[in-house]
Amino acid sequence: MAANNTLSISFTVNGEKFNNVNVPSRQHLADFLRSQGFTGTHLGCEQGACGACTIEMDGKAVRSCLVLASQANGSDLKTVEGFDDKMMEQVKQSFLKHNAFQCGFCSPGMLMTTKEILLSKKKLTREEIRSEISGNYCRCTGYQSIVDAIEECINEVN
Amino acid sequence: MDDIKVNQNPKLGSIDRPNSYIGRSLPRENAKKHLDGGGQFVDDLTLPRMVHVAFLRSPFAHAEIKSIDTKTAKLSDGVIDIFTAKEIDEVCKPWVGVLGHLGEMRSPEQSPLAKKIARWQGEPVAVVIANSRAQAEDALELIEVDWLEKDAQVDMETALDPNAVIIHPELGNNLFWTRTVNQGDVDKAFKEADAVVETTLDFARHTGVTLESRGIVADWNKAENKMTIYHNGQAPHMMQHIIAKHLDLNEGLVRIISRDVGGSFGIKVHVYPDEMAVTAISKKLGRPVKFIADRLESFTTDIHARCHKISGKLGVDKNGKILAMEIDDLSGIGPFSMYPRTSAIETNQVLNLSGAPYVIPNYKAVGTVVFQNKTPMCQYRAVGHPIAVAITEALIDKAAYKIGMDLDKIRKINFIPDNSYPNKSPSGVPLEDLSHQASMDKLLEIMDIKEIDTKKKDDYEKGILSGYGVISMCEVTNPSPLFYGVGGAHISSQDGASIRLEGSGAIHLSSSITEQGQGTEAIMKQIAADQLGVKLESVRVTLGDTDATPYGGGTWASRGAGIGGEAVLKAARKLKDNILNIAAAIMQTDKESLDIEDNNVVRKNGGEGISLQKLAETVYYRGHEIPKGTNPELLATASFLIEGIPFVFTNSAMGCQVSIDQDTGIIKINKFWAVEDCGTQINPKLVEEQIRGGVIQGIGGALFEECVYDDQGNMQNATMADYLVPMAYEMPDIIVDHVTTNSGRSIIGAKGAGEAGTGGAPAVIMNAINNALKQVGAEVISQPITPEKVLKALGKI
Amino acid sequence: MIRLICYLMGGKYMKAANFSYYEAKNIQDAIKIKANDEEAVILAGGQSLLPALNMRLSSPSCLIDISKISGLNDIIIDGDYLFIGALATHSDVMRNEIVSQKMPCLIDILKMVAHPAIRNKGTHGGSIAYGDPAAELPALAVATNAEIILSGQNGDRSINANDFYLGLFETAINQDEIVVGIKYPLLKQGQVILFDEVCRRHGDYAMAGLIANVNKTGSKVNDLSLVYFATGDKPDVADKTAKLFLQTGYDYEQLKNSLSSEIDFAGDLNSSSEMKLHLATILIKKIINKLEA
Repeated sequence: MAANNTLSISFTVNGEKFNNVNVPSRQHLADFLRSQGFTGTHLGCEQGACGACTIEMDGKAVRSCLVLASQANGSDLKTVEGFDDKMMEQVKQSFLKHNAFQCGFCSPGMLMTTKEILLSKKKLTREEIRSEISGNYCRCTGYQSIVDAIEECINEVN
Repeated sequence: MDDIKVNQNPKLGSIDRPNSYIGRSLPRENAKKHLDGGGQFVDDLTLPRMVHVAFLRSPFAHAEIKSIDTKTAKLSDGVIDIFTAKEIDEVCKPWVGVLGHLGEMRSPEQSPLAKKIARWQGEPVAVVIANSRAQAEDALELIEVDWLEKDAQVDMETALDPNAVIIHPELGNNLFWTRTVNQGDVDKAFKEADAVVETTLDFARHTGVTLESRGIVADWNKAENKMTIYHNGQAPHMMQHIIAKHLDLNEGLVRIISRDVGGSFGIKVHVYPDEMAVTAISKKLGRPVKFIADRLESFTTDIHARCHKISGKLGVDKNGKILAMEIDDLSGIGPFSMYPRTSAIETNQVLNLSGAPYVIPNYKAVGTVVFQNKTPMCQYRAVGHPIAVAITEALIDKAAYKIGMDLDKIRKINFIPDNSYPNKSPSGVPLEDLSHQASMDKLLEIMDIKEIDTKKKDDYEKGILSGYGVISMCEVTNPSPLFYGVGGAHISSQDGASIRLEGSGAIHLSSSITEQGQGTEAIMKQIAADQLGVKLESVRVTLGDTDATPYGGGTWASRGAGIGGEAVLKAARKLKDNILNIAAAIMQTDKESLDIEDNNVVRKNGGEGISLQKLAETVYYRGHEIPKGTNPELLATASFLIEGIPFVFTNSAMGCQVSIDQDTGIIKINKFWAVEDCGTQINPKLVEEQIRGGVIQGIGGALFEECVYDDQGNMQNATMADYLVPMAYEMPDIIVDHVTTNSGRSIIGAKGAGEAGTGGAPAVIMNAINNALKQVGAEVISQPITPEKVLKALGKI
Repeated sequence: MIRLICYLMGGKYMKAANFSYYEAKNIQDAIKIKANDEEAVILAGGQSLLPALNMRLSSPSCLIDISKISGLNDIIIDGDYLFIGALATHSDVMRNEIVSQKMPCLIDILKMVAHPAIRNKGTHGGSIAYGDPAAELPALAVATNAEIILSGQNGDRSINANDFYLGLFETAINQDEIVVGIKYPLLKQGQVILFDEVCRRHGDYAMAGLIANVNKTGSKVNDLSLVYFATGDKPDVADKTAKLFLQTGYDYEQLKNSLSSEIDFAGDLNSSSEMKLHLATILIKKIINKLEA
């Protein structure tokens, strides 16, 4: 790939293939995904501090505002729009039951972090759950309902 | 979750009905879309030919703008145009943030872009319009501004000194507003008191940090002469009026649409110069224009709040009865008063609400508000309450310590008694339907102070400093026209609801209240379905669209449930009455023998009824089958406003237990309790979550958050890494409980619950910390209570 | 992740300026480009670089992406050393069996670095090369006398961490060099690395942090070295104070005076220099408590 200001990349998002899409080299992955219509991934700081942009890239949670779109060439991406497997549907039911969200802006990132917690299969205490979500800023809930929901999910998964 | 919390509000009907939804903690099914990535926030919107803007902002707190050269910048890739004040002023008239009912208030005119002088770091000075935000920012770097930096007034304590920098020479000094409240004779009472205590507290400027930043898409359609604005604001009808007024448009042809909002807390209820500029740009260009504040801009341009230095004095007799209270409060705002609600309200609430839960026969309060060359300031969640409650409760604790009385006992003997309403606050504000005694009793019941006190003593033996606090407070909710409208603001105090039964049997509800995540839509549905007699899922709701909802005030000052909810209740009852009229005619029986349950008109004594769907089909499609003279009406509208009093107050009692690491100064909040009386709770879980979210936000102000400025007026911590917001690890679980005293002002009896947590948490945390520090003769008097301040108090540094 | 002392002049930018992007095929490829372009920067994990780019605090001509080069994320025992490849992410290191056996303190330390999603991308080499004064890994490298392996046009070389950090974000890397790995000496009998830090919120940069390289018999400390982070421009070595502690044990006033004389504490937004000095002193007590536990 030659050095360039615009690149052509191929990747999948939630199982959907994208071939040879043009992207400015300076554009971060969050902006790029949003420009492709995946507006569920949110921008809260573009500094990596708030966690609202957290998505799944090649099986790992990453801050999409701290990844260049060009780095996603060849990658398998999952955004909140694609969190529809059985486990995540259960998570969403838990979040709904505990009102683990209010405005919903932090939720995509919070759900991604929850997914990683559950996939690790670790049985965490409430304090440990708080530690795991300590990189996801929520201004509305005060976090307790989110901890309640995740605690319930951990018990169900394990 | 089907957790029934019985509200005991007989006016609402039996809780044993099939559609009894009021008082139930039902999940917000309508909000599930947020978990599926289906939110519709302003930045998610793309319109044809939409362009983006980036603002050139003053890097200085105070500077003359000698010239702006945009020649090179205009040639940058993707740039459509660059405007300064000249172009924007052609389209948008300036405004003044004053109201007529608060006495003399002076603020100069403000335009969207600074003209010759920039008066705060972050003030917009020029705006680039380009095909993308990135390209707009590229052009910003190429704009050449000839600045002449001036001295800045960045200290509120010296703002009225003879050698202060006068920000607006035409005003003569930096005084924006002052007010004195004087009840009784405090000087005489202090002389007679057995014990007098004093303190001076200071509170740092901080800001809302909504996760979704401010945003607007303005779309001027030349062909229709119509302006459509997509805005993440709280008060669409207010914005409709203001944009029409300042852009000289037909107000009826300005449409404000507020869909999903990523948190607001008052930040998004004000009028911002950059957003007004965007509307002007759209009008000029005739195409959609989008502006999304980025995080750096948000820190320096969202309104700031809560910068106060307040001294207080309390006099008690030997039995602990309060004889007098006096406060003197200084607050520093920006160089302009914010429009249209003014930057005086926060101080006004401090003067109105200090001492509010207590019988205080002599009360004097002086408030002074001064201009500074800093980010403008205005209402932010629990406006003024954190300061009012903190000064009151700190003084009461001091008095308790001085005369050797228990912290809860001194409060109990001074409360305005629960059975004495209607009554008045020490400042003279009318109060009704409050329960300070019952709430404090409830708090003590769930808190177990004896156990905490024992633990405190045990901890001390082990070298751990722990402490606790209990506080009481009143919260302003459900405001009447006496809050803003009386002063000339076009801010509606009346809200409406419109409800209809459609041909399919579905129910559609629209309300002038708006949603920012607190659950407006959910509770409106619950009320409508409950009062009408239909399944919750049959109701769909439209909010946040000035073309499609009734006219009203929107959501702020915790007014949604109490005011909007009552309108929904009344509309639902009207529709039910209409439906039963028609059903009685069709079924040839008395209206009184019928009811609606689970979407069916039923006979109370059994027998065949008729489904709402069938009834609606008959009305709409086969109207000839209905007896003449019935005049079937399947649509009802109702409105509600609070009359005769300025606000409906709620009350809370809060407690917390903290421990202090004497080596690091770090405070740990081990336990937090909140007892809330907000009258009828439509959805108890949502009320609890408002309390919890509010408390955490209050903890932010108490321990972490401040806008740090250097002496040149540069904000030094305007990033998400440096400005410390509460994150999950440091925050406690919060135990919430309730007392219920319904508001007599409405059938639904609901008051607001959105702000109490934020209003009370700073006070109770500070008191708990001082309760702990007192054991070693130390004290903190400044928020945020940082580890450094704690270590200084302990004499470690 | 970047922490900035930002005099951000009215809030400026959140979209990066233009730059070229180049995906390096291998290390030699990356070195060649970096050698010939002074304004080119290396992109590995990007967790410190991208915030700087987004805020236009950094405007490089070209980003050389080395993150996809294979063979640079090995974690192996190399003789008397634990070798960590530069592209091993913090998550890779935290999950690694060899690390948990041979250098478990590294896992404890990495738990304090930012948050899981950042750790999934942030690289070991990136943190070492960037040299944020508030970061833990540079201090660990200094405290353990780690060797930093650099690869350049003239081949590979190794430089001791104590000679690597020169000033504020200033290291001994030459224009044509890239960090390819770090070698930590395996712990000897009786040797333990202890660590603690004081921060406002979990995952934040510390107000002050300490890494102690301790040689002990039972609970008796025979020797130790103290390296502080978040106290100045680069890791602060406190040899004099370490010696004093060995002689006199924990005496707050004495140790504080000693620290004050050998470290120039630089205050920041969250803690003044006086506070950092105080925290540096009590951190020694905290470390000792961990030793005794």
